[in-house]
Amino acid sequence: MTNVLEVNDIHTFIGQFHILEGVSVEVPDGSITALLGRNGAGKTTSLKSILGLTPPSRGTISFKGAEIQGQPAHQIASKGIGYVPEHRAIFRDLSVEENLKIAERKKGDLAQRADFIFGIFPDLKRLIKLPGGNLSGGQQQMLAIARALVPENRLLLIDEPSEGLAPVIIEQVMDAVRQLSAHTTVLLVEQNFVMASQLADRYTIIEAGSSVKSGLMADLVDDEETIRRYLGAA
Amino acid sequence: MTRMWRRYRALIIILAVALLIIYVITRGMEPKVWMSILLSGVTLAALYFLLASGLSLVFGLMDVLNFAQGAIFVTGAYMGLSTFLNPRLLFNTLPFFLAIAAGAVVTERLGIVLWRRVDTSQRRRILWWALLIVSGIIIVLALRGFPIRAINAFNVVAVGGTVSTAEAQEPLGIMFRRMAILFAGGLVFGMMLSPKERHEERPRRPLWQTAAILIALLVLGCLLLVGRDVGETFMLGMSSDLRFLLAIVVGAAAGALVGVAIETVLIRPFYGNPVTQLVLTLGLSIVMIDLVELIWGEEGNPPMQPPSFFTEACRSESLFAWFSENCRSLDVMGRAFPTYRLFIIAVGVVVFIAVGLLLQRSRIGMIIRAGVQDSEMVQALGINVRMVFTFVFALGSALAALGGVIAAPFLGVYPAMGNIYQLQAFIAVVIGGMGSYAGAAVGTLLLGLARAFGDHFVAAGIDLPFLDAVIKGSPAIAQASSVLIMAIVLLVRPAGIFGKKE
Repeated sequence: MTNVLEVNDIHTFIGQFHILEGVSVEVPDGSITALLGRNGAGKTTSLKSILGLTPPSRGTISFKGAEIQGQPAHQIASKGIGYVPEHRAIFRDLSVEENLKIAERKKGDLAQRADFIFGIFPDLKRLIKLPGGNLSGGQQQMLAIARALVPENRLLLIDEPSEGLAPVIIEQVMDAVRQLSAHTTVLLVEQNFVMASQLADRYTIIEAGSSVKSGLMADLVDDEETIRRYLGAA
Repeated sequence: MTRMWRRYRALIIILAVALLIIYVITRGMEPKVWMSILLSGVTLAALYFLLASGLSLVFGLMDVLNFAQGAIFVTGAYMGLSTFLNPRLLFNTLPFFLAIAAGAVVTERLGIVLWRRVDTSQRRRILWWALLIVSGIIIVLALRGFPIRAINAFNVVAVGGTVSTAEAQEPLGIMFRRMAILFAGGLVFGMMLSPKERHEERPRRPLWQTAAILIALLVLGCLLLVGRDVGETFMLGMSSDLRFLLAIVVGAAAGALVGVAIETVLIRPFYGNPVTQLVLTLGLSIVMIDLVELIWGEEGNPPMQPPSFFTEACRSESLFAWFSENCRSLDVMGRAFPTYRLFIIAVGVVVFIAVGLLLQRSRIGMIIRAGVQDSEMVQALGINVRMVFTFVFALGSALAALGGVIAAPFLGVYPAMGNIYQLQAFIAVVIGGMGSYAGAAVGTLLLGLARAFGDHFVAAGIDLPFLDAVIKGSPAIAQASSVLIMAIVLLVRPAGIFGKKE
């Protein structure tokens, strides 16, 4: 199994602050890889650095075998990376349809993949004309993931999909991620360890800006020592 | 119903209060009087709107407060006036810009070689400023002694005389020498703009295209120079209506170009640093007005002659009659109202609808609306949001310049003509909600009406029901009315009428 994404020892500054001090992540093709770690460890910044929103000052990132670090974010995204940010970032004044349409990289992307997208998120079809701002938190999360599925993406970066959602909705979101992972590779940031452990095949733990441990999720679940040390009491 | 109420509560309250105030002011006023005040107010609102729409979009999308908007309005007015009265200025200066652009095209391509040798970001910044200053110095040197005022002596033309062509212009030989030096300045300038990182290298334009653009720019410049006398005679021979149309096109195009130049040179290097951008545009507006005074003189010009559709010395009974009579004024409920002001209103409405359609119906409009909310997410979708920034800046500047041209027959053209309009536009944007297009329209309408009714109040006074005497305002109150409205609106809704709570 080859790696779709290889992040090698990246360092990122935001203003004066050295947020990432050596993060390495490997994401094998077809997998769901989870980035774990405490609040403020640098998980979100890692995703943003991969995408070029907070460009790393050192280290290399290769996507589909070619180095992408230092390129502007829109070029990196266009190579086939979808982004589902923390807090969803739905465009409130745009309708659900426009929220999907804006993600098209070439004309007709949405029409072509509509069956696939509405197959995973049947609710969205009903809401298609509503402004994005009128949707509930769960619906917005579905829309944010759906938006990342509109163009042909090889990799999805999904940040905290369960945040602020009711347990029933979390189930639905997990189900959706499971379904779409049959088509595309996923790098997932998730605080909720139970959810992460059920979804992901692999993990990388980030602690205070550096990646400290990675491996198979199946091994981590039994490794209480590591869980206690890096992820708190969970 | 309740949801509608909650959503539009503030707007409804503000409109109700505004209507109540208008009712009190217009109470006992003859309909023909308040109708003409209303139309005057809408005329002002249309002009404010042409400035405010760009301000609002630019602020919403890129968090840039563009204090140069008023200066762009003035530049547009002067460019329009020159096109209308004195095309000689265009023929004698356009080649200079073409020469600079030609130089920039050459090094925009080659500059990457230079930037590759400079490694640290600090040195790059120094080099960037050095290139800017050196190119500025070369351009200033190239233009030293250029008789811009003599070329521009069109006041004489405006009152019916003509300036003899020979002494106002420089001989072609000297002009070509200036062009050559400006080309060199453009070479340095282009290096500044060229891609600095390897990944920024755009898919390279094939060499033949660069060469073709270069040759086209230079040939066009030389043709304009060589044919300047013929061209001038030709343009002055056109009907004044055609020249007016041309003035609008040239003014708006000049505004768009100035906008692109401001965005790429001054704004783009400082995204994420709004204070720097604000101070830069503020400084630039002062420099631009100084340049306008240098080129066109400080004294100002009388109102430009409107197209012949608005100049016949008569009063049309109806809009329909006006179509055939082309009268200067129109009978509105028994009072004469200048038809050119109706034209200003029409332009404002057409622009409002056209830009509204662009925002609502086109893909770039969708991207703009999305970018106003979250430009980072737009970029994360793979959209080059910087290009959209440049487009919106150019659009806003073009609209402001267009406003300047159509204001020229109404206000006259003078260097300070933009001051009050820029201020009013800013206040309107704050009232309407920063970043909201509909807000800019509502805000400008409120201010235009307030200004017109305020002026009437100052002149005629208001007959309030509970007072015996008519109270009259001081002139200051008419000017302060916009600030008062802003204060009231912001008390009710701190983010403006259509503003989003942050």
